Parts: sequence; C-alpha cells; structure tokens
Amino acid sequence: MVNRKFAKVSKFRYLALATILVIISGGLVLLPKYQKHEGIKSNELLSRVISPERYISTDEVASILINQDPSYLLIDVRDQESYQKYSLPNAINIPLKNLLDENFEGYVNQDEYDVVLFSNDHFTADQAWILCNRLDYKNLRVLEGGINNWFNTIINPPKPTENMASIDFELYSTRKAASMFFGVVYPEQTIKQQAPVKKAAPKKIVVPVKKKKKMPTEGGC
Amino acid sequence: MKELEKTKRISIASVLFILVILVGLLTYKRPKNLYSLNTQNTLENIITNDYLIPLNNLAEVEHVLIDVRSQFEFEKGHLENAMNISTPDILSEENINIFNKLKNDHTTVILYGTNPDEVLAPYMLLYQLGYSNLKILMVQNSYSQNKLLTKNVDIEKPVGDVNAFINESIKKAKVKQAPKAKTPPPPKKVIPKKKKKKMPTEGGC
Repeated sequence: MVNRKFAKVSKFRYLALATILVIISGGLVLLPKYQKHEGIKSNELLSRVISPERYISTDEVASILINQDPSYLLIDVRDQESYQKYSLPNAINIPLKNLLDENFEGYVNQDEYDVVLFSNDHFTADQAWILCNRLDYKNLRVLEGGINNWFNTIINPPKPTENMASIDFELYSTRKAASMFFGVVYPEQTIKQQAPVKKAAPKKIVVPVKKKKKMPTEGGC
Repeated sequence: MKELEKTKRISIASVLFILVILVGLLTYKRPKNLYSLNTQNTLENIITNDYLIPLNNLAEVEHVLIDVRSQFEFEKGHLENAMNISTPDILSEENINIFNKLKNDHTTVILYGTNPDEVLAPYMLLYQLGYSNLKILMVQNSYSQNKLLTKNVDIEKPVGDVNAFINESIKKAKVKQAPKAKTPPPPKKVIPKKKKKKMPTEGGC
C-alpha cells in the first residue's frame, strides 16, 4: 500500500525537480544587469591608451576633407555653443556629456566609417576616446592638437624662415593651399593673379635683327 | 533491476556534475584590477572638471605628487618630493599597492607629466578602477638649459576665433583687390610688319 503511494509520487520526482530548477533560473533574468565591469580588461585598455596610434594629424584631416573622403566621419565633442561658432566642415556635434546616449551610439559604435574625434585641444577628445575604447568601439581616431592645432597649422600656417629646409617650404605651400580651400584669402592671391599678366607685358618683342643682306648685284658693267 | 541501473546512472552524472563545478571553482582566478565604475558614471564625473588642479593651489592640499613620465625624464628633472610611476607600469602589482595604500589613507594623489594630455590616460584608467582620490596638475614641463621649467597651462582653451580670422583675411584681400581692377590691360603686342624694302638698285648701267 505504502509502496504504491511512494511509486506514484516518485513518478513525478524528476519533473518536479526540473520545474524547480527552471523557476530558479528564471530568477536570473530578473537580476539587474551587472554593468560595473563592462568593457575590455583594464590591462588591455592601458596598452591601447599608451599607444599614440590613435592620433591623426591636421594635415591628414585636411587632405581627407579636400578629397571628400566618404569613409571618414568627423565628430566634434565640444559643447554645442563652440560647435556653432566654428567646427570642421561636415562635422557632427556630439557633446562629451551625451557621448554615451543611445541615439548617438550609432555614430560611435560602428565599423563602416573611420571616426575622427576632435575638440579644442585633444584633452576632451581623448576622454571620449578612452571611454569608447573601454567599450571596445572600433575605428576611432583623435585629431592631434584639435581645433587649436588646426588653426595654427592649416588655417594660419606659420611662414617658414629663410634658413629652413625646402621641405618646410613645400609643407607651407600645401598648407596654404589647404587654407585657401577652407576659405582663407591671402592678399598675395590677387598679386599672384597679376603676376603672369605683368610678366606678359615686358615680353620682349623680338625684333629680328635684320641682317644686312648683301645686295645682289644687279646689273653691272 | 531497471530501477537500480537508473539510479546508478543518475549518481554518476551528479558526481560528474559536482566535479565540474569544483574544478571550475578551484581554477577560477579573480581578474586583477577590475573596474569599479561603469562608463556612464565615469563620464558624469569627468565632465565636472573637479579633478584639475592648477599649480598655485598645490600648497593648499595635502598631497602626494606622482610623475607619470618615463624614468629617464624623471631623472632629468622633476618637481620636489615627486614619486615616479610611469604610465605603462601603472597597473603593476607594486604600484597598485601604492595606490591602494594612498587611497586607504585618504591622501590626495596629484599626477603630473609633460602636459595634462599625457596624464589623462593614467588618470582615467585609475579613476575607473575606483581610485577617486586622484587629481591632475595642470602644468606643462619643459627644459631650458637642463633646468625643469614648470608653468600653468589651460586645457581646451580656444586659441583663436577661426571664423573671425577667415573673415579678416577676406577683408584684407578685398582691400588689395581694388587696385587690381585698375591694372591696365596688357598692351597689345604689335608685331611690326616688315615692309619689303625695295632693293635699291646698285650700280647698273
């Protein structure tokens, strides 16, 4: 009699145990997401952070802009006010405080574009870079020196002095050409246009020296 | 007999299961240097700029100075009473112990380097690991005749108004553009036609 009852109950014992386990595991879903340790390991972050690979020079960015390279995305991490005052052409504004907002995540966390972060110098941009790299976002670069360096090298390039190498002169002329592209007008520009005209004026009119032709003797006695 | 075989299988399975868990527990190594802040909290804190300290305020707080430049730079010249922990070694066990000790003593740790940009990386890293007693000294170090020069710098300060500069340049250029219009068109080249000279008759009868 007892045996039979026991057998009846024991028939369901596995089922009962399984349901208990399922219920308990269901509790895991309700646990809050453990986000404290999100991102890559600190050691790896350190090794990424100390490498200067992330920096991109202003000259490179200038050539990207001039060639209208579609694979680059420029992101201004300064506040909105500074962004409206001046920013690089075609840049998107994501203030640092909104960097991790959901609606901006699509810009930073993707692998289609190379993203260049910039700010006035590269302090804020570096902060953004470090945070994004902890989250293992790919293809992020930082404009070295930021807008200040941009101003000092591309918009207002320093004139090389006479005793500098020819490379500096070449660099200066490319930077100057770039700055013209970004809207700076040089007073020499007008002079430059005159120059060929002026040159044309004194073009020597070559008056062919007439060689005295020996007079063919005509007639004669 | 069938029942017996069933229990046997179950017991073997459970023993194996427990063994796997035990092995897992024994071989588990707690990862070192775990973050104690997530990125969102870090972001909220770094935008306050509370962690920047100018050189003039240095004397006001009790602090330990840490130089994050390389050992070579450190030996060339460093601030008084500074300790050298270069950035790449910042997570080594020895240095983490130092930071832990300083944190437990509630001492303010002030980091400095060649410039604030250089200090940002070690600062951000340590900050996310939970060392909230850190500050960045806003100085720039350079050498002049082998002497360390330390001066205050501002970060994120715009050097110039780019738009204003561009407008100015356009204005300047315009002033000079005016005389350009006046330049007379280049004189026409007049190529003198050579007239055929009649040969003077020479001689003749």
